[in-house]
Amino acid sequence: MKVTIKHWHAVAQWRWDTGKSEPNSDDSEGDVCGICRVPFEGCCPTCKMPGDDCPLIWGECTHIFHMHCLLKWLGTAASKQQCPMDRRTWGMPTKFSLVAVPC
Amino acid sequence: MASDALRSQVAAKWQESFARLNRHEPGIAGLVRFSHAWNVALAVLRPRRLDELKEDVDIELVRSAFAVINGGRRLPFLLETFLEELKKRYWMVGKDVEEYMARFEQTENAEVIRDLVLRLVAWFKHWAPLPELRLGSTIYSAYTLSFQTHLFSIVPPSFATGFKALVSSTLSASASTTKSHGHDTDDPNAPIWQSFETLGLIDRYESIIATVGYEFIEHHVLDTCTAEWSRPMLSELRDWMSEKVVPWMLLIYARGATNAEEARSMLQGVGSRFDFHINKTLCDLRTKEIFDIIIDFPESNGALMDLKDCLQRVDQRPALVKALRQANRKRLLHPGADTKLILSQYVATIKCLRIIDPPGVLLFKVADPIRRYLRDRPDTIRCIVANLVGDDSDSPDSLLDDTIDSTSGSGGGQITTTNPAHLIDDYSDPNWDPEPIDAGPEFRANKPQDVLSTLVSIYDSQDLFVKEVQILLAQRLLSIPILSNTTVEDTNGTTERIEKERRTLEILKLRFGEMALGVCEVMLKDMTDSKRIDSHIQNQLSLSSSSSTPPSSADINVVHPTIISHHFWPSSDPSAFSSLSNQHHHQQQQNQQQSSSSFMLPGQFKTLQSTYLSQFTKFKPDKTLRFLPNLGSVTLLIRFEDEREMEVQVGAIEAGVLELFNMKGEEEVEGDVENKEGAMLSLDELIQGLGGIDKGSVLKALLTWIDYGVLEEVEGREGMFRVLEVENDRKREGGGGGGGGGGEGEERTRQAVAAHVHAQESNLPPVVSAQQQQADQMRVYWKFIEGMLTNLGGLPIDRIQSMLRFAPGYDQSVDQLSMFLDAARREGVVVFREATQKNKKNIEHFVRPVKSQITTENLNSFFDHVVAIYLTGARGLSIFHAPTG
Ligand SMILES: [Zn+2]
Ligand SMILES: [Zn+2]
Ligand SMILES: [Zn+2]
Repeated sequence: MKVTIKHWHAVAQWRWDTGKSEPNSDDSEGDVCGICRVPFEGCCPTCKMPGDDCPLIWGECTHIFHMHCLLKWLGTAASKQQCPMDRRTWGMPTKFSLVAVPC
Repeated sequence: MASDALRSQVAAKWQESFARLNRHEPGIAGLVRFSHAWNVALAVLRPRRLDELKEDVDIELVRSAFAVINGGRRLPFLLETFLEELKKRYWMVGKDVEEYMARFEQTENAEVIRDLVLRLVAWFKHWAPLPELRLGSTIYSAYTLSFQTHLFSIVPPSFATGFKALVSSTLSASASTTKSHGHDTDDPNAPIWQSFETLGLIDRYESIIATVGYEFIEHHVLDTCTAEWSRPMLSELRDWMSEKVVPWMLLIYARGATNAEEARSMLQGVGSRFDFHINKTLCDLRTKEIFDIIIDFPESNGALMDLKDCLQRVDQRPALVKALRQANRKRLLHPGADTKLILSQYVATIKCLRIIDPPGVLLFKVADPIRRYLRDRPDTIRCIVANLVGDDSDSPDSLLDDTIDSTSGSGGGQITTTNPAHLIDDYSDPNWDPEPIDAGPEFRANKPQDVLSTLVSIYDSQDLFVKEVQILLAQRLLSIPILSNTTVEDTNGTTERIEKERRTLEILKLRFGEMALGVCEVMLKDMTDSKRIDSHIQNQLSLSSSSSTPPSSADINVVHPTIISHHFWPSSDPSAFSSLSNQHHHQQQQNQQQSSSSFMLPGQFKTLQSTYLSQFTKFKPDKTLRFLPNLGSVTLLIRFEDEREMEVQVGAIEAGVLELFNMKGEEEVEGDVENKEGAMLSLDELIQGLGGIDKGSVLKALLTWIDYGVLEEVEGREGMFRVLEVENDRKREGGGGGGGGGGEGEERTRQAVAAHVHAQESNLPPVVSAQQQQADQMRVYWKFIEGMLTNLGGLPIDRIQSMLRFAPGYDQSVDQLSMFLDAARREGVVVFREATQKNKKNIEHFVRPVKSQITTENLNSFFDHVVAIYLTGARGLSIFHAPTG
């Protein structure tokens, strides 16, 4: 017997590749945004659509937030342009850039 | 010793009497004359035999005789004597009465009574004082009264019966002679009614006459209106009454009227009593029919209009509530009734009772038990939501026909059940009406809600609904294959189907609010994104394969995943999600719950998965994928040793199981293992190979393949399975479709595995054969079917099937059910009839119960028959599609 797969209608969940956990591991709950406490794969409180519409932002300090959350935070006077987790001046690592893929 | 005074007083009296009778004539000449006159008068008045003619009387002589008696003021005494005489001779009348009544009791012919009445009138006239004598009304009425009194004292009770029949015949006669507006004298019955009047029968038997009228009305109403619901009947009935009954009534109730005006006013009272009776009879009839009227809605609109009118005249509201509650309890709220059916009957009830009683008091009183019953049914929400999203192929009419209309009507139309404010009477509302008097203390005059709100308000909160909407939408979306039209022709209408769900969602958002269904938006976006990603990746692949890349990567073309957003699909709740790929969620929930964590697809799937993943991350570098292996479906092409090919679409676990056999086979080829038979694997190996998922899931998958004739259990080695490389010699039966099943050997295997599955599920040793089990199972379901058919009259097979789906553990296919019912038909337990035009929406024919024929005996033989069918393996036999009866 020979079995050939003609068509596979699979179902998969997308995850941000934060480089932290194995995508297929059972650590399914993932991490949450330190600002809004919503999972990264969810969306920030102002957005309705997760994913590309509500992307993540990586800091030099390796902390990750919803981009919208961080921008809002940086917009407040209290932030002093610092990472809300470790109070280091917020900076973007050169190796990461926001990936905006036009679809 | 009389005193002198007394003596003289007596003498004076005597003198006075004498003087009066003698009229102051000389001697006793006056007295003689009086005596003569007395005799003449009595002779004239004497009641005689009918055949005994009155001798010619000299009217002048008689008259003067009466004058003499009157002069002597003896007329009252004469009358008394006459009536005494009448009484003495009444036996002659009595003899006639006796004779006629005996004849009537023998023949029960109302005509005998007619003859009797005519005979009595003859007597009456024969004995009446000569009218020429002009004796004055006192004497006539005294005679009439006396004659009638004697008559009524001698007629036997059966006379009333006969009289009723006679009256009844006059009414039918009146009703059947269609007259142009004539006078009542035209009526053929006028003479007999005149006779009734003469004998005082009309007054005497007033209630009998009225009863005849009432019964005539009842009969006509039942005759013309029973099950005639499409148009209002009331005005037709009134026309009928004035045309057919009123002429008859005129004879009775307007007798003696001198003109039409007078007649009309005389008829008024009785006329309105008769009209009331029409209302009451129709009302009773409709009350009795109410359950079926509701089933028939909206075709039964006419009946509802009538009922509304009737209820305004006749206070039958409590009776209506009682009847409907009883019918609901008996015919609707029982385990045999499908939730969908209960819902649609409930919705129809809402609509119907709103027509009858706009304030909603009746509905409130009737709905309560239905709502309580629905609340306790596990699948109620699912049914409502399924209907809401149009996933209800079984029932042609949506529960929500009027939802959209009412939305535009009431502005926004959001469900307001959780807002208690609307339950409080708003007295400032100009449209506020006091509650109807029969409204109980619990009744709240709800602002007219649309049907959906009413359904949702069965529950305390709408959260459950929202959750169910999400699950259902997820199920439906995941069943849509991701096919980008650039690569494959979009035959499955991926885009179309997504758009359809989007439209449904828009409607639902109007009801449940934007917020509640926000996650559904994400689901829809995931669908379109998946399609876009798929087409991008397919494009990339075809570009690269057209250049120099090795063709192996073209394999990835077969992977078309739906990529979902983790927190927005109901996947976080595996029990809810597990039913996605399955209709029989009852049993399989557990299995999938267990398997979902550990299940892994082996072999080719693993490779395909990682190749796809690498393509995906090239496209979306910031993202990765986590496959949900137990979801989705796979189309496999299976090529056997004997060159047979088979293409099937199966679930992921089935695909995984077969891939393990495939891998085993390849291993053997590579390792040069001599194996003339197909690859063989044990149950344990299979479980391990799939990442240690639960036994039940694997057994189910094995069963699927055994049904396809791809695998078999190795004889004598329990728990060992092997590929059937060469098609079994024994002739395959049925042959139709993929599930044709195998020969006897395979059938045995199937049984064995089915028994495994059974044992797995119930922890019982497999003792009973699968067929026997099926038959036993059907015996249980027969109870349901019987209940359904008895209560609902007749049902299409599809409908029975869909109802049975909710019976615990039911897993027969429509064809199996059809076979079963066909067996039932041949045993005379049910009959089939072809669907009527009206019901022809999506069914073939109706099954109806034959109540009288169900006996324990033929039921038993019927089940023996069912077992026999299963044992002879008459699977796929479609006797059913040839309509019978
Ligand atoms: Zn955030
Ligand atoms: Zn955002
Ligand atoms: Zn930081």
